[in-house]
Amino acid sequence: MDIIVEKLVQVWDDGGAGVRALDGIDHHFKSGTLTCLLGPSGCGKSTLAQIVGGIETATSGTIRIVDPANPSLPPARPGERSVMMWQSLNLFPWRNVIDNVAFGLEMAGVARDERYDRARALIASVGLKNFEEKACSQLSGGMRQRVALARALIMDRPILLMDEPFAALDAQTKIVMQEELTRIFERMRKTVLFVTHAIDEAILLGDEVVVMTARPGRIKEVIKIDLPRPRTQELVNTHEFGELYDRILHLIREEVLNAMRQQDEAIA
Amino acid sequence: MSVSARARSGRPARKRRDPLWLRLLPSLSVVLFLLLWEIAVRGGDIAPIILPAPSSVARYLVAMIADGSLPWNLAVTFMRIMAGFLVAGVLGVLVGVLMGMSKVLERVIDPWIAALYPLPKISLIPLLIIWLGTGEAYILTISAITAFFPVVISTYAGIRQTSQELVKAARDLGANTRQVQMNVVIPAAIPSIFAGLHLGMGVTIILVVAAEMIGGSNQSGMGYLLIRFGQVMETEKVFASLVALAVFGGVIMKAQGAIDRWVAPWAVGKS
Repeated sequence: MDIIVEKLVQVWDDGGAGVRALDGIDHHFKSGTLTCLLGPSGCGKSTLAQIVGGIETATSGTIRIVDPANPSLPPARPGERSVMMWQSLNLFPWRNVIDNVAFGLEMAGVARDERYDRARALIASVGLKNFEEKACSQLSGGMRQRVALARALIMDRPILLMDEPFAALDAQTKIVMQEELTRIFERMRKTVLFVTHAIDEAILLGDEVVVMTARPGRIKEVIKIDLPRPRTQELVNTHEFGELYDRILHLIREEVLNAMRQQDEAIA
Repeated sequence: MSVSARARSGRPARKRRDPLWLRLLPSLSVVLFLLLWEIAVRGGDIAPIILPAPSSVARYLVAMIADGSLPWNLAVTFMRIMAGFLVAGVLGVLVGVLMGMSKVLERVIDPWIAALYPLPKISLIPLLIIWLGTGEAYILTISAITAFFPVVISTYAGIRQTSQELVKAARDLGANTRQVQMNVVIPAAIPSIFAGLHLGMGVTIILVVAAEMIGGSNQSGMGYLLIRFGQVMETEKVFASLVALAVFGGVIMKAQGAIDRWVAPWAVGKS
């Protein structure tokens, strides 16, 4: 699905003039590409993903979600063709692994046997075979990520929104999860918006990196990542990776400093 | 990669057990206290009518179990507690859930709860006796009214404190409003509901025994026993009844905790 965002503005009500989180975002997220939204904390990158996912409603601007294969079809509502994987995962603690994964199918009224079959297949494909009946609290951080990923993938939506899903993981687990996501993406070719504040993660995963400014969030620059797929962690050691890293670091350093200044002012 | 190996090592290692003397300390503390009490009563020449020795309390306790008076009255009190708790629990959870989910009901019910909650429920006893007499209906009503409030307030708070993140996640996965309520809001409130039910059980026990003491025309139950033995200065029997009541209360609380763990293991220790 193509996601065409135009003049998107988001103002949060703060009882006064309002906080401008997004200030005129224009971007065309192309079908089947993985776009990383990169920016300092508070730049509105998560907000952008949530608006695309229909979880928040923008103050103004338009989002058109269209199928490039059938451009004559009416555009989809935000949220209708997408599913979110959350930073805090938001697994339901009172449900075991399989009932978390099957949640969306259960809500849609899919019969028990069918939804369990599909959930089992997905649980196996993310490497959690035999953990179906476990409580989520018994799982490690990386395993919970897998449950959350399976819970999103089972919806079989063409758009996958990921809001810093790996931010809380330890470095080694993060590498494994990044490689796993890369494999899944290269197999399924969904349209993915991946929110992150890690430059290396953005280059490793993304087909393009949208660098955002500090608040109010605008698009500072869009960088194409033409590194070959399939990608693995070894890419990090290549010359091309290093060049991209330096270029993005240069762009983002300014914005991080701006964001820190804003925070200092807010505290003072 | 080996997920299963990680899961095994990820589980917290079993806690190393404390040394024997440390584990025996609670029992030693009780035994020592009873011993000192026994010595004080025997050596200090205290009249049993004021303070009987633990050994004679134990003798009376055994006798009262043997003649059936203690088991019978405990059973009667237990039934009354269960009746009051059941009424308060069902109504409290129901009203709390409805208040948490409906703005209209919240506005209608809230002033009543705000006004009646701080009122000591025991002060309603004279009125209830006028209306209901001193029989079972009076005991049930006073205990259920008292237990209703903590249950309704905890349930309502639990519903209102549901994580909005979880609600958003459920909606994103296609749940409609009703499905969100049944599958997210109510389960999320369970730790808080359990906490309310524990408080409710505690006050039900207090109010049933108190109501048996005041009024209680059926002349049964632990409250009645305590008052009667007190009036005739059978202090050993008063103590024996107190011991039985304390053990009984402890067992009820433990059983309630076990039921919580069985019904919703994930909720235990959350609230």
